[in-house]
Amino acid sequence: MSKARKFPSRGREKATAPPKKARRKRRAADVQQLLPLAEAAPDTSVAASVPSSGAASYRRLWFCVYLPLLPLEAAGTTTTARVVVEERQGIHRVLLANEAAMAAGIVPGQAANAALALDPELDIEERSTLVEQQVLESLAGWLEQFSSCVSMAGSDVLLLEIAGSLRLFGGLRSLRQQVSTGLGQQGFFASLAIAPTPLAATWLARGGRRACVRDVANIAPMLRSLSLDCLEWPDSVIESLAGMGITNVGDCLRLPREGFARRFGAGRLLELDRALGRLPDPRTSWRAPERFCIDYDMTEEQSDSELLLAICRELLDAHERFLLVRQLGTQRLDFSFYHLKAPATKVSIGCAHTGRTAARWFELLKIRFERLELPEPVIAVRLEGGHTQALCAESGRLSFSGQRTSTGRYSMAQLAERLAARMGRQAINGVMTVAEHRPQRAWRARHLSGKPGDMACLRDSMRRPLWMLPEPAPLVVEAGYPLHQGRLRIVAGPERIETGWWDDDGIARDYYTAINPRGLRLWIFRNRSAAATWYLHGFFG
Amino acid sequence: MQRDSSTLESLLENPRVWRGRAHNGNRPGLSTGYEKLDRHLPGGGWPQHALTEILVEQYGVGELEILMPALARLSADDPVAPYAEPGWVAWVAPPFQPYPPALQQSGINLSRLLIVRPKDDSEILWSAEQALASGTCSAVLLWPERMDDQASRRLQLAAEKGQSWAIAFRPVNAERQASAAALRLAIRASADGTDVDIFKSRGGRPVTLHKLFSRP
Repeated sequence: MSKARKFPSRGREKATAPPKKARRKRRAADVQQLLPLAEAAPDTSVAASVPSSGAASYRRLWFCVYLPLLPLEAAGTTTTARVVVEERQGIHRVLLANEAAMAAGIVPGQAANAALALDPELDIEERSTLVEQQVLESLAGWLEQFSSCVSMAGSDVLLLEIAGSLRLFGGLRSLRQQVSTGLGQQGFFASLAIAPTPLAATWLARGGRRACVRDVANIAPMLRSLSLDCLEWPDSVIESLAGMGITNVGDCLRLPREGFARRFGAGRLLELDRALGRLPDPRTSWRAPERFCIDYDMTEEQSDSELLLAICRELLDAHERFLLVRQLGTQRLDFSFYHLKAPATKVSIGCAHTGRTAARWFELLKIRFERLELPEPVIAVRLEGGHTQALCAESGRLSFSGQRTSTGRYSMAQLAERLAARMGRQAINGVMTVAEHRPQRAWRARHLSGKPGDMACLRDSMRRPLWMLPEPAPLVVEAGYPLHQGRLRIVAGPERIETGWWDDDGIARDYYTAINPRGLRLWIFRNRSAAATWYLHGFFG
Repeated sequence: MQRDSSTLESLLENPRVWRGRAHNGNRPGLSTGYEKLDRHLPGGGWPQHALTEILVEQYGVGELEILMPALARLSADDPVAPYAEPGWVAWVAPPFQPYPPALQQSGINLSRLLIVRPKDDSEILWSAEQALASGTCSAVLLWPERMDDQASRRLQLAAEKGQSWAIAFRPVNAERQASAAALRLAIRASADGTDVDIFKSRGGRPVTLHKLFSRP
């Protein structure tokens, strides 16, 4: 506690430290340690005191759109009382309430039951972050008309870089007005702020200031009176700062850098520096995902599959061109065949490898078409591209032997796709071994698309049979000898496998190789436990 | 003179002219790994790019063991051309589970193994044909329930097209049915060894080999 008391007093000492010019003469390391987070006096010299690195080239202006009521707005518009609830420590509590609900006396933080007691006809919605994200993405898509750089920061903040858009939209005031009106028309309540750094803009918007800062030098004075709650720092940090009597950003900026970083982490310090424009704060620009969708309408209904395939080929060619210019590929395509009097027939084709070649998709479609039964003639065809991915091209290989390069060969992936297109993906698999002593667990199926990893290797053990039964089959015993088309003769063994006691599938078996009168070699075992029955587990094929 | 020799060449190319075993014109076979068997097969091994039929009374008589040395060689990296990827070995509709650790003991490269489990007979033949013609698989093993002359011809053609080796496992009563396979043999196991009965061999002669490999 005493430490915490000392801390602010030290800060104040530094605030009244010798004038700036004298301090600048110190070694760089000292300056780093002793400089307060910001200049104490908000006079004109502040502008000069901002490090010139980065500041001179700082010509950006960030427009922050903060949507405090997004959870409520994402649930849809309504005139009746509605609250959005969220589960906290096992109790559903009101997160946000609309005006009608507020009028009934419901306040955020109330338990859902208490709210229901106040208004029995209350519409209670569970918060859905997924829907919120979708709403935010659609808003980001709408905001893309104002700037080429729209960035998502957190779950309720959108940032636009507008320095380049000002002229086109008739200046700052006009642009702000257009965004504000547009948001209002779509039914969103937004808090807007403009600042040269994204963080400062975000904090000001969260603080509910309709601020518009155009100069980096004016950020610090603007942020000074801002409450620390707008910074979205962890509660523990806010609380310990409040314990020192620090409640706003201005107090925070007066603290010595070194101590601040040690107590609250370098990340906090970095945030302050970024907000003030001392350090660059690059943001990634959000891009609306592009989806391919194309329709083909026919003048009259058609049922000729040759003709339909030709149309599909045309659509696939268009899809290939779409992907080609964007260097993308996809793993899935959806065809819809529309009928006049029946619901549309949907055909999805999947592909293990990301691809875009129309010919390859067409081949897969043809296989599907062989078995497809259209209930009615088709009037329109739609092709929808699936989720796109950056295409990673496979490099070809030089052939040295010459015997594996005949034309018309295609890769395993293509063969697997063809087989899967007709029989389903579960009908095709590879295998791999697993480091496990229990015979039935020593292998497993693997997907062909994955890379074959390191395989376990069986060492120092008896030969295993090439054919394995799915389940061990009990053998009839006669006079102590197991029977399988006659009395079995044991030729090798026993190999004791006793393991797996740690799970439910533990075994304790003695395995033998036996030969039956007809020359079949069998892999049999006897349980070591009570009932010593014989089982057949495999054939040596 | 020139004209005469070309006439002779074209005459000899006629498949109806039998030229004796030394001049069968077959490409060299894939060594079986069993010296005794190699000696009796034209080309000194399994016929490549063709269909082989193996007839068995029941599964487990050694029908896989006879193939293992050749399959291990096919799935291993080629020492002459290490950059050429080894082909895949496809198992279409195996009657039991092929046991990977045992295949590994036999020297099969498991990362190049494909198991296909079709639902019905037509799918078995279709997928085997696809695998053969794809040129990706160096060998395709299939266990069809029924296979007629026409199906065997299709498999033979697909094997030629994809330069692959088709091995069909059939019951012994299929011996009397016609087939386009280049090699047909029956495997019979007895308590003291395994007999191999080659009853059709294109460019070779039918022969019965007793105790090809003894199984202690």
